[in-house]
Amino acid sequence: MDAIWLKIKADLRSRRLVAALITLTIAAASMLLTLALATLVNMDAPYERTFEALNGAHLWLYFDRQLVRRRDIERIAALPEVVQSTGVQYSVNSRVRIGNTRVWVSLRAIPESMEDWPVNRLWIEQGRGLQRGQLEALAGKDLNDLYHLQVGDRIGITRADGKQVELPVIGLAYNPMWDTYRNTQPPYVYLSEDTLRALYPEQESWDRSLGLRLADPEATQAVLTQIEAMLRPDTLVTHTDWHDVRRAAVFGARINFIFLGAFSLFAIVAAVLVITNNISSTVLAQFRQIGVLKAVGFAPGQIVLLYVGEYVVLAAIGTPIGLAAGIVLSPLPLKNVAASLSATFRPPWNLALVAAVLTAVPLIVILATLTSAYRGARANIIKAMAVGAEPPRHRPSLPMRLATALGLPMTWLLGLNDVFARPWRSFLTTLNLALGVIGIVFGLTLSETLDTYRNDPSLLGVVYDAVVTRGQTGDAQTRHLLSRSPDVEAFYGQVMVDVETADGRSFQVRAVEGNLAAFPFRITQGRFFAPGSDEAIAGQGLLDWLGLSIGDLISVQIKGEHGVPVTWRIVGQYPEPVNTGQMLMVNLSSLARRLKEPQPRTYYLKLSANADTARLKKYLEPRPDADLNLALVGQAIPGVVIYLQMAIFALAAVVIGIALVNVFNTSLLTVHEKMRTVGMLKTVGMTPAQVITMIGAAAGFLGVLATLAGVPAGFALTRTLLATFSKAYGFGQVQVVLNPLYALGLLPLMVAVSVLGSWLPGRRAAGISIVDVLRHE
Amino acid sequence: MSALVELVDLEKTYPVGGSTFYALRGVSLQVQRGDFVAIMGPSGSGKSTLLHLTGGLDRPTAGRVRVGEHWLQQMNESELARFRRANIGFVFQFFHLIDNLTVQANVELPALLLEKKNKKAIRQRSTALLERLGIAAQAHKHPWELSGGQQQRVAIARALINSPTLLLGDEPTGNLDSASGQEVLHILEEFNALGQTILMVTHDAVAASRARHVLFIRDGLLVDALPGGDAQRIARRVTELQ
Repeated sequence: MDAIWLKIKADLRSRRLVAALITLTIAAASMLLTLALATLVNMDAPYERTFEALNGAHLWLYFDRQLVRRRDIERIAALPEVVQSTGVQYSVNSRVRIGNTRVWVSLRAIPESMEDWPVNRLWIEQGRGLQRGQLEALAGKDLNDLYHLQVGDRIGITRADGKQVELPVIGLAYNPMWDTYRNTQPPYVYLSEDTLRALYPEQESWDRSLGLRLADPEATQAVLTQIEAMLRPDTLVTHTDWHDVRRAAVFGARINFIFLGAFSLFAIVAAVLVITNNISSTVLAQFRQIGVLKAVGFAPGQIVLLYVGEYVVLAAIGTPIGLAAGIVLSPLPLKNVAASLSATFRPPWNLALVAAVLTAVPLIVILATLTSAYRGARANIIKAMAVGAEPPRHRPSLPMRLATALGLPMTWLLGLNDVFARPWRSFLTTLNLALGVIGIVFGLTLSETLDTYRNDPSLLGVVYDAVVTRGQTGDAQTRHLLSRSPDVEAFYGQVMVDVETADGRSFQVRAVEGNLAAFPFRITQGRFFAPGSDEAIAGQGLLDWLGLSIGDLISVQIKGEHGVPVTWRIVGQYPEPVNTGQMLMVNLSSLARRLKEPQPRTYYLKLSANADTARLKKYLEPRPDADLNLALVGQAIPGVVIYLQMAIFALAAVVIGIALVNVFNTSLLTVHEKMRTVGMLKTVGMTPAQVITMIGAAAGFLGVLATLAGVPAGFALTRTLLATFSKAYGFGQVQVVLNPLYALGLLPLMVAVSVLGSWLPGRRAAGISIVDVLRHE
Repeated sequence: MSALVELVDLEKTYPVGGSTFYALRGVSLQVQRGDFVAIMGPSGSGKSTLLHLTGGLDRPTAGRVRVGEHWLQQMNESELARFRRANIGFVFQFFHLIDNLTVQANVELPALLLEKKNKKAIRQRSTALLERLGIAAQAHKHPWELSGGQQQRVAIARALINSPTLLLGDEPTGNLDSASGQEVLHILEEFNALGQTILMVTHDAVAASRARHVLFIRDGLLVDALPGGDAQRIARRVTELQ
C-alpha cells in the first residue's frame, strides 16, 4: 500500500499540468451535472409546488352579481368539504390601455396584507406587492407575455365616470387559478379594494367570485354539484376547477419540459462521456509505464488500485469545486427556467442533489479508471513496454493510404498516422468534439427553425396582420368601416364558441366568415373547408386529443345549450397557434342559428401592402375611449422559447469549452508520450513549425471527423426533439431547418477549435530539447 | 576550410543546483572529410555533449561549430533543423525508431522531410539501403518486431538516406550483443570506405579501434589522440585516463 501511495504522490507531482487539467475537466463535468440535476429539480411538478406554496384554491366560483346573496357565500364556505375560503372576491371587467393597445381585463380587489390572504395567494414574479394607501396596480404575468407589460409601465383605466386614470404597474404576479385555457376570464389586474372603489364606487356593479380550498382536492365535481343544488338557478355563472388549470399549465410548459429535459439529458451524458474519455485517454497514454510497474513487481490489483487512487484523489478535489460552481451559477439560468414554468426557483442546495453529485462523479471516475486500468493490469508486460496500449497496425489504414496517395505533406501524414495508430484514443477524443458539434447544431437548428417561423408566421397559423374588437359598435357598422379603409385589404369576422363533446371534453371553435380566401391559411393536411358548408378544419392538438382523423365527423354540444348536437366533417388540419392546437375552425353560417350572439366581435385583418398603421389606428380609434380596438400582431414566437434558445446556445458553449480542454489535454498527453518520437523527428530535421503542424494536423483531422459525425447526429437529435415538441404543442409537422452553409461553417470552426486545443501542446513539443529527451532515455 | 568539421574553443555548462557543471571546457577539434573518428572517455567526460553540439542538437555556451560551410551558432531553431535534415545523420544507442511507422517509412522519413516531390527516387534509395544493410525482408515490419541489431541497421539506413555530410554515432553498439555490434561496425567501415565521414562516441575500445583516429576526452577536455586499429593499446590508454 505504501508503494501505491508513494507512486500516486510521485505521479501527481511529476505531471502537475495533466493532473490540473483532469481536475479541471472533472470540475467542469461536475458543474454540468449539477446544473442538469438542478434543472430537473426545478422541473419537478412545478405547478403542484407553486399551488401548494400559494395555498391555491381547488375550486373558483363566479356568481351572477344580481342573484348571489351574502348568505349563499356563507353557506358554501361552511360546507364540510371546504377547508378554507377566500371570502367574497370583487372584480370589475374593464378595458385598460397598455401602450397603444386597449385590452379587456378583470380588475380584481385583493387584500393588501398577506395575513388577510390565507387562500390562493399570488406569487410576485417581478417587482413587489400592493402597498396600503397607494394608487397602483399589480398585473398578471400573462399581460407581460401577451402585451409585454413591464414593471414601471403605466396602464390607463377608464373610471366609471368616464375619466382616464393612469396607474403604475408595481409588479407582475402569477395566479395559480388563472386558467390559460377553457377560461372566459380576461387577464387579471390586481388593485386594492380602496383603489377599485375609487375607480368604480358603485359596489353593486362589482362581480363576485369565491375561491375554495377543499379537504379532498379530487372532489371538485362532487362539491360543485352540491353547490349548484344549494343555489338558485343561474346564480353560478361559471367556475374554474384546479384540475383544468393544472392541465393547461402542464400543456403550456410542455415545450419547456421537452427542451429542458433534453438539455439535462444531454448535459448528463456529456458529463459522463467527458470524464470517461479523459481518464481513459490518460490511462491509455500511460500503458508503457504500466508495463514497467508490472516488471518491477506491481500485481494487477495494485495497478488498478494505483490508477483508481490517483483519479479518486483528483475527483475529490474537482467534484466539490464543480459542485460549488454549479450551485453558485445555477440561479443565473434556472431562475428564468423556473419562471417560465410558473414555479418558484428551487436553489440546488438540497442534500439529495449534493449527495448525488458527490457520489456520481467519483463513481463515474472509478468506473472509467477501472475499465482502462484493468486493461492495463492484464496487458502483456513486454508488449506494453514496447508499444503501449495500442500496437501499431501492420498495414496502413485506408484513410492513411488515401492521404499518402493524395500526396499530403509529410508532417500531415505523420499527424494522421498518429490518429490511426491509436484508434481507440482518437475515437474518444472525436466523441468529445462531436458532443460540442451536436450542441452547436442543436442550437443552430433550433435558432434557424424559429427564425423561419418568425419570418413566416403563417407557418404557426398566424395569418393576419391585425385584430379589431368591437364593443357597442354594431357588426354591420364595423364591417362598413373596415371595408372602406384603404389600409385594409381583407378581413374576416370570428365568433369563439365553447363546445363540449358527448364525453364531456370541452374546447373552443373558431366560427368565421368573410373574405377567407385572401388569407394565407396553411393547411398541413387535407384542404380548407368549402364556403357555406358543414365542413371544418382542426388543429393537430384537437385531432390527437379526441383521436380523430381527417374525414371523420365531429359532433359537439354548444355550451349552455341543450339542443341537437352540431356536426361537422373534418376536411383538413391547420397549425393552430393557441390552446395547444385543441381548436376547430368552421363556417360561422354552420352554427349561427344556434348562437345567442351570432355576430362576430373580433375581426382579423389583412393589411394592404402600403398600409399606414398609425392612420388606421386613428381611423378606427378616433378618441381615447373609442369603442373599436385595433391590435397589431406582435411577436408570434413566445419569449420563453427565445430564452430556451439562448440556454441551448449556452450549453453548446459549455460543451465546446470542455471539448477544447479535452483536446488540449489529449494533445498534451500525446505529446508527453511522444516526447521521444518528437525528439527523434527533430533530430532528423523536423523544424519546430513542422512539429506544431504535425500535432495540429492530428487534432484538426479529429475535428473534421467530429463535424462529419456531429452534424447529422445533432440534426437528427434536434428533428426528433422538435417533432416531439410540435406534436405536444399541437402544431402538426414542424419544418426543421438547418442552413447547409452553417453546417459547412462548422467544419472550419471545429478544425480551429481542435487545432487551437493542440496548439500549446504542439508548441511545447516543438520547444523540447532534443538533448534532454535523449538524456532521459 | 579544408577540414569538414571544425570545433573552436567549445564550452558547455549546465546549472546543477546552485553551481555550474562544465561538460566541455574549451574543446577545439578538426575532422577531415572522409575520416572516421572515435571519441572515447569515461561517463560524464563530455563525449556525448561534444557529439550533440557538432550535430546541432544543442547550442554551446561558448565557442563555435562549423560543419562544411555552416557555422551552427549563427542559426535559429528552424535553420538548425534544416541543416540537420540535409547534412547530418544520427545513429543512437537506443535506435530511436518510430514505433508506428514501418521500417521502410522510418528510413524514408528524413528524405521525405527534405524532398517533398521525388518520392519514387526516395523509395529506390531506401530499398537500395535496406538491401545493402541486409534488412530488405523486414521493410514492411514495425521496429518492435525486429531484433536490436536489425533495429540499429534500420537506424543507420535512416541516417544515410539523405547522404549526409557527416554521420554521428552515439554509442551505436552500446545496446547490442557482440555479434550485432560487430556487424554494425562493419557497416560503418564500409560506408567510411566509400567516403562517408563518421564521428562516433563509444565506451568500447574494440569499437573505437575500427575508427581511423581515436580521441580521448576527460573532464570536458580533449587529452590525447591515437590512431585506430590497436584495440589493446586504446583500452590501456582508457584505463590510464580513468
